[in-house]
Amino acid sequence: MTRAAVPTLPSNLPLADRAIGRGDLQCRPQKWGRVLLPYGFFLPAFLLVAAVSFIPLGYAIQQSFHAADYMGMGRFVGLQNYSRFLGDGQGWRNLWQAFVFVAGSVAIALPLGFALACALNRPIRFRGLFRTILILPWLVSNLVVALLWAWMLNAQFGPVAYLVSQLGGTLPNAVTSPALAMPALIIANVWHSYPLVMIFVLAALQTVPAELYEAARIDGASAWNRFKLITLPMVRNTTLVVLVLTTLHTFNNVTMVFVMTGGGPVGMTETLALRVFVEEFKYYQTGIASAAAVIIFALNLLFSVVYIRVLRGENTAKA
Amino acid sequence: MAARRSTARISDWITYGALVCASLFALLPLLWGLSTSLKPPTEVSAWPPTWIPHTPTLENYAAVLANPKYVRYLLNTLGVTFVVMLLGIGLAAHASWVVARTRFRGKSAMMFLMWATVMIPGVSIIVPMYLLSVDLGLYDTYTVLVIVYCASVVPTLVWLLRGFVASIPQELEESALIDGSSRAGVFYRIVVPLMRPGFGAAAVLVFVTVWNEFLIGYALVLGDEHRLIQVGVYYFVTDVGIEWGPLMAGMIISALPIVILFAALQRYFIQGLTGGAVKG
Repeated sequence: MTRAAVPTLPSNLPLADRAIGRGDLQCRPQKWGRVLLPYGFFLPAFLLVAAVSFIPLGYAIQQSFHAADYMGMGRFVGLQNYSRFLGDGQGWRNLWQAFVFVAGSVAIALPLGFALACALNRPIRFRGLFRTILILPWLVSNLVVALLWAWMLNAQFGPVAYLVSQLGGTLPNAVTSPALAMPALIIANVWHSYPLVMIFVLAALQTVPAELYEAARIDGASAWNRFKLITLPMVRNTTLVVLVLTTLHTFNNVTMVFVMTGGGPVGMTETLALRVFVEEFKYYQTGIASAAAVIIFALNLLFSVVYIRVLRGENTAKA
Repeated sequence: MAARRSTARISDWITYGALVCASLFALLPLLWGLSTSLKPPTEVSAWPPTWIPHTPTLENYAAVLANPKYVRYLLNTLGVTFVVMLLGIGLAAHASWVVARTRFRGKSAMMFLMWATVMIPGVSIIVPMYLLSVDLGLYDTYTVLVIVYCASVVPTLVWLLRGFVASIPQELEESALIDGSSRAGVFYRIVVPLMRPGFGAAAVLVFVTVWNEFLIGYALVLGDEHRLIQVGVYYFVTDVGIEWGPLMAGMIISALPIVILFAALQRYFIQGLTGGAVKG
């Protein structure tokens, strides 16, 4: 009796019509599609990315424990490359300079980007124009940033030097001055980095419901309290994310330092990332370059893990 | 009431003041570069420096564009960018659809690995990339540039496009399946056309990444034949000593396509460059 309830449909009907009656029919011809298609679509992208990232990374790690012959892996030397890198103090100086570069850049770019985001979130005129102008420094390349600021701060012909001379001082050549090279790099990097902070924080601010502020105002909360108790908690995670992004971009930045100061004067702006580049492409010291590259990778990893922990902790604490 | 209005006005003035100062900080280096690029050599080295050229000239631009090397760098960059766009977006579009819509064995592990690669800084793998590309006979070729740039943009592209796939109503795909379309057919005929805004953001991401990239272009290319624009401008400088006028002209030409595109496609820019984290 139950058989009669499911009428057999003629096989020349469109697939959809047959499927009404016999559910498995639509699947069987598409077994290939269901099981293999995801792999066919996903694997090409995955394999390309994995090959180009993990093979070189593995190679760098392996190389860091081996002596480097010309263009090849030499004998196993244990931690010798690391001890050569850190042993003479230069490696630690590179790390310190990277720290100064990152800390200086982030300490200015983060509050600056945050404040500008708050300003752009207010209902003011020319908001779109201000936003467009303020984003511009983010669009140009590291090379362009380095060249523009080297030229801005040029001691002979630049406008900053002229301004300083009008005020009765003399501007030494910023990119070759021991006192000014690092601040010059930091200014250039801040100019390039604050827009990302601004964009992220502005996007987060725009998700804060206006009613919250209205309610707080009616309850008599001061502007500072509204900021502290509504704005800050709502944009906290975004700010943390963009803090990490800016930190890592700066820490890993080779191009700007290479083009602007080349690490000089006398290695005073040689950051860890620049050291890798210089050791390989100037001195052909592949062993030391690899050890430094692995240290950079480890620090990136460490920093990301800490930040994921913090973000997770935040969220679970909230929930 | 009056008191509150006046504090509001004061804070408005502070806001405008801050925005104008910040805009000057953002614009002055760019304007200084632009001004220099329009000056004859005598005025470039004038003291006091002038913001507006007394005798504006396009000679620096003419000199740069008459240099066959420079034009070669531009064309190389355009070509590599275009191929990376096609290949990278093609690969990422396929991957993003199955990531958003299907479950398959090993998916979460592979996705974790793919997104973990974003955490590997370029400077950590640039040395082995150079050594391996020499070993494989790929050093100083367009091929290696395309492969490396593709691999570096694909994870972000998958992330970005996955968001766009997720915004397509799934019923459309289901009804096409019921109407007898194959799964692949659903992707090519239904999903791809609806992903178009995503492709805009993806194209911007690829364009800016490849166009502004320096490190890989420096490490994996030997001579002028395959050189890309960023490294080209860098060498262009050191070749002739520092002649700031032509240098600024060459630099501005190199940055112009991005600024123009940004003016036209601001929303795509912000979506693309933040990996879809910010909706523009």
